[in-house]
Amino acid sequence: MKLRPKDVAVWFIMFVILIGMLLPLWWMLLGTFSEQFVSGSLLKNLSDYKFTLDNIISVLNVKNFDRSIVNSLIVGVTVTAGNMIFCLMIGYAFARFRFRMKKALFLSVVEVLMIPVHIIIIPLFLLISKLGWYDSYAALIIPFLVNPLGVLLLTQYIRELPPDLEEAARIDGAGEFRILFSVVAPMCKPVLAVLAVQIFMTNWNSFLLPFILTSSDSMRTLPVMLALLQGYQQIDWPQIFAASTISALPVVIVFLIFQRHIVSGITAGALKT
Amino acid sequence: MTHTTTARRTTLLYLLPWLLTLALFWLYPLLHSFYLSMTDYELLASESHFVGLANYIELFNDQDFLKALLNTAIFVVGTIPFTTVFALGLALLVNRRIPGAQIFRSGYFIPSITSLVVIALIFTNLYSRGGYLTMLCDLVGIPTPERGFLFSEGTALPAIMAMDVWIASGYYMLLFLAGLKSIPEEQYEAAALDGASAWSSFWTITLPQLRPMALYVILINTIKSFQVFVEIFVMTKGGPLNSTLTVVYFVYDRGLHKFLMGYASAAAYVLFVLIMIFALIQMRLFGVGRSTAE
Repeated sequence: MKLRPKDVAVWFIMFVILIGMLLPLWWMLLGTFSEQFVSGSLLKNLSDYKFTLDNIISVLNVKNFDRSIVNSLIVGVTVTAGNMIFCLMIGYAFARFRFRMKKALFLSVVEVLMIPVHIIIIPLFLLISKLGWYDSYAALIIPFLVNPLGVLLLTQYIRELPPDLEEAARIDGAGEFRILFSVVAPMCKPVLAVLAVQIFMTNWNSFLLPFILTSSDSMRTLPVMLALLQGYQQIDWPQIFAASTISALPVVIVFLIFQRHIVSGITAGALKT
Repeated sequence: MTHTTTARRTTLLYLLPWLLTLALFWLYPLLHSFYLSMTDYELLASESHFVGLANYIELFNDQDFLKALLNTAIFVVGTIPFTTVFALGLALLVNRRIPGAQIFRSGYFIPSITSLVVIALIFTNLYSRGGYLTMLCDLVGIPTPERGFLFSEGTALPAIMAMDVWIASGYYMLLFLAGLKSIPEEQYEAAALDGASAWSSFWTITLPQLRPMALYVILINTIKSFQVFVEIFVMTKGGPLNSTLTVVYFVYDRGLHKFLMGYASAAAYVLFVLIMIFALIQMRLFGVGRSTAE
């Protein structure tokens, strides 16, 4: 590839934008890992820079902070696993079975995607309380087990699969459950991977619903803990940055590893709806 | 006979998770909040009464709610054009055959996968008095508010809006990029043979073909932006002097903080109707929407 001067200029512009996009996150890392952080001076931070893990250690010692990490992991893993199983079942039913009201029911999946979640926070809060799930894992997990976008992804993916293998298995006398989980599921691995990464990341970052559906410190998820951290005391920026790093870094790493899955998950939703 | 019963049972079993989710966590809350909006239900009061449209009438005489509506409208109208144009620009840049295009794409996207709470906290620091952005502005000679961007009535909302554009551009870039990739290369080649310049093929080929994606981007962004909340909660709590109070923050504050659940539900429903109206208008304007149902 030959580089023309115009390309060099474009490359330079793109590079400047890249710095602008990453600077705030770099600022967070700087605050996390430096011994003496000053909010207002880049030069001072760089010239006096000394690496330290003290901020990370100190935030891990904040009461219930480690618990919030564990909570986020438990909830994230359960919700992700649940979505993989349920969206597979539902998607398979939509793609292969004939039943009454199929069209209307499938349309309900698309329609729900358009409903603004934030406008139902009050009835959701009341419902969860009435069910006795308030401030428990049930509240953080059960409402999120079936993501409509996942249903859409799986339905469309299974529709494109040739039904030969399933029919062969059916002739061999395999039960429906066996067919779904040992014949169809392996063929759906790529789309299930897309779904898993997507759901886990969304769940790991989600704030509003986990926030309103829990109240005790020991039930908080990481983003909720993080948002409330600044309210508890005088703003201790190195500590807040350290907590932010713990929350953001895993997602960025997961993103860099599974980039292709994430990108195709997002664009598949857009191209197909 | 038994065969069809088993088949029916399997179908029902497979669909059950969706039926339950749909009924319990979507339809019921939607209906229940409509009912609540016509009562004076308060969590801590012993009884509630049907009040008809009284909540709605009260809302439109409530200065705070009107302010929240106005702020939300400013937020939506003030961010979406910028986000859309920037996203399209980034997509065009990243779509070029240039060394490192992949790395740029990933880098631009990173803000939108980072937790909103984290980003809001970082920007709270950057925007604060004595924070880095204030220092930079002082250095260049741009006047800055005395108490920092987030504690001044005039700058708090624009500061949050700027942050939001910064976050969202990378996300919508990715969608535009998918749209760009789906335009067949031959069309450009044919246009080039006819002597069309890059500029004119952008207007005659790229933009028209991106229309459906642009609609989707604007639609999704509209629905999202009307519900802005996390940024407000983390950065300003609606202050100073309600200058960043948005409708969802209003709903949260009245409903789940002060427990005026009937009143807050009415506010939520006003927002719901507004979002639906906007979504319908946009679908009409762009003349697609039928394709959504396949």
